[in-house]
Amino acid sequence: MRIPYDVESFPLGKGPMVMLVLFLISCLFIFAPAEEKGENVEFWIFANTHYEEYQARVPIFEALHPEVNVQLINYGGTMHDKLLTALLSDFGAPDVVEVEITSIGRFLKGDIDEVGFVDLRPRLESEGWMEKLVVSRFTPWSYKGKIFGIPHDLHPVVLLYRDDLFKAAGVEMTEIETWNDFIAAGKKASRDLDGDGKIDQYAIVLDRRTESDYFNLLLQRGGGFFDADGNVVIDSEIAIETLEFLTSLFNQHKIATPVYGTWHGDPSNFAAMQDGKILSVLAPDWYVGILKSQVPQMAGKWKAIGMPAWEVEGRRTTTRGGTMIGITKQCKNPDLAWDLLKFAYFDKAGLINRYETTRIIPPLKDAWDAPIYKEPDAYLGGQPLGELFIELAPDLPPRYQNPYWSEAADLLNDAIFNAVTEKQTPREALTELAEKVRALIAKDQERWGEGIIDENGTE
Amino acid sequence: MKMERNRSSFWHQQQKIAPYLFIAPFYILFIVFMGYPLISSLILSFYEMRGFQSRIFVGFANFTDLFRDPIFWKSLWNTTYFALGTLVLQLPIALLLAILLNAKFVKGKNFLRLAFFAPVLVAGVFVAIIFNLIFDQRAGLINNEFILFGKEIGWLSEGKYVMPAVILTGVWQWAGFNMIYFLAGLQGIRQELYEAAAVDGANWWQSFVHITLPSLRPVIAFVVVVSMIGSFQLFDLPYILTNGGEPADAGSTIVMYLYKNGFQFMRLGYAATIGWVLFIIIAIISIAQLKLLGIFREE
Repeated sequence: MRIPYDVESFPLGKGPMVMLVLFLISCLFIFAPAEEKGENVEFWIFANTHYEEYQARVPIFEALHPEVNVQLINYGGTMHDKLLTALLSDFGAPDVVEVEITSIGRFLKGDIDEVGFVDLRPRLESEGWMEKLVVSRFTPWSYKGKIFGIPHDLHPVVLLYRDDLFKAAGVEMTEIETWNDFIAAGKKASRDLDGDGKIDQYAIVLDRRTESDYFNLLLQRGGGFFDADGNVVIDSEIAIETLEFLTSLFNQHKIATPVYGTWHGDPSNFAAMQDGKILSVLAPDWYVGILKSQVPQMAGKWKAIGMPAWEVEGRRTTTRGGTMIGITKQCKNPDLAWDLLKFAYFDKAGLINRYETTRIIPPLKDAWDAPIYKEPDAYLGGQPLGELFIELAPDLPPRYQNPYWSEAADLLNDAIFNAVTEKQTPREALTELAEKVRALIAKDQERWGEGIIDENGTE
Repeated sequence: MKMERNRSSFWHQQQKIAPYLFIAPFYILFIVFMGYPLISSLILSFYEMRGFQSRIFVGFANFTDLFRDPIFWKSLWNTTYFALGTLVLQLPIALLLAILLNAKFVKGKNFLRLAFFAPVLVAGVFVAIIFNLIFDQRAGLINNEFILFGKEIGWLSEGKYVMPAVILTGVWQWAGFNMIYFLAGLQGIRQELYEAAAVDGANWWQSFVHITLPSLRPVIAFVVVVSMIGSFQLFDLPYILTNGGEPADAGSTIVMYLYKNGFQFMRLGYAATIGWVLFIIIAIISIAQLKLLGIFREE
């Protein structure tokens, strides 16, 4: 075919002409009117496993609402930054969005009425959802009396342990009730395997670089960084004692090893588990899901019990991680978004599918009767793991949210590392930390002319 | 008559305006995407956000806070440490590689050049993930294969080894890239100079010091300045390698601290201040280097 135009006669030759044509075609795509198919709902996600779940579920929702088109967008780890920019510029935010528990704090800064999410409390209360959900799970998504998200999960934590290796050391883990019992058992099981005088098999693996395991222990005891009223309580006696305890597991009792690599999900940590160097780990439900997919060859070697308690009959669990779903204030049809929220989080068929793929237990109590949660789990040698999680779920401690969580956690990581590596005593580290964070908040309040929040959560 | 004058003035005007129209696209894009943000961020550095909707004028408070902020100083030191590591370790290695791969006796030069250049094609995030495994204290390749100084080094778990680990990773990733600049510079040196020196009885070292290095001066200046700017903007490699600067900010850099303040702590004013202070630091260092290397000197 011959082009009926002499391309060489185009000013400046062929190259610029090709560029011009490409430019015009791009403009055509950009300015072409989008295909109208009823109403659009944009839904942003940061977790791949959630994205896969919703990809399968959205067509069902669209079939129930034929006029609706759900745009599912998975931005991965950068989603929270994009959401922050969209809310700051008052433009481009999605209608519906999932937010991660350590990231929500920054979105609560400033005046409570200017927070970018719709307060869901009126809808939750008028439709009776509050009673149907585990109420302590609203605390991470609530601030000053408003609820900005529905909890995706409970994330109860259990002690996952190597039954074979503890038994070989003469320990029956199902008899463990308290942390003191665990220390005694751990001393028996932590051993030097190759005779070089150094312990290489540790009773437990704990993170000393970040707040993760310290916070597991602190929440279990009913402590926290902030209390329900937003006060800094990280220098309370309970917080100091807990850090002293964590430090003693490493330095005094020598039954804990720091995480291999940077966190519990690091490949080198999994390698150490396979080598039998790690006998137990504090595992939320989602971590069991990660283990199953990353180290399937360890199937049958693990068992689970509730966490050892701080006192006899004490709480046997804590909570780690979490996600919420919320509606942004830029959403044009909150009623439709609300329907999508309920479909994604409260539909029992969807929740069963979620447990099958991720081992995540839902906060919706009605859903716990489903037979799937009682099924034996092959990864745990036939132990019905779901049953254990559901047994622990009602006892979950609250985790109070605060706009200063990100700054606080960043400094808390340093304090824990300094205490465990004996650069500071736990008391020094936490007292200094609490002073820093209080000063930070006081300075902002002084600038903003804000008073201290009173007990009713009003200014 | 009148019409003619109009027409000629139109031509006259048009000729005056046309050049500006031709360069307009660049300036419009520059103003929208660079100029406006620059000025806006300078203004922002005198404010602090109060949530998402309002901001408060704080004068120079962000600057005075910054100079009293121990994490900023730690991040500045870490970044400077990396920049120095680049200067004394990475660039000499790059130059050495360039000289070797320019030498006549080396075989398979093209393959080796590609091999040394290849790491720069790998995204920083993947490099960080791979080196995370390599540097692991107990399971990592380095500690298992080379027992350095007779002990197991906590590359990423002990504060003092964190930045050396980042520098070594930087060497692996960037030395080959800088090698290409040096190689281009070496190939531009006239062969007759070496021949003349050889006739005068100069040995290899003498010709290196008196011919190669002086001839490479513009290339060295360029590579040093660009590497220093890149070093001070270091972010993704340590962010992944040290999981956000851990332990205890041992791996924190200026841009990482800027990112944390802006996006994690919602302190956009403070983040803008860090950005401007970083800009001033880079500007001073670059000018000083160019002066030292004699680039402003008239030949």
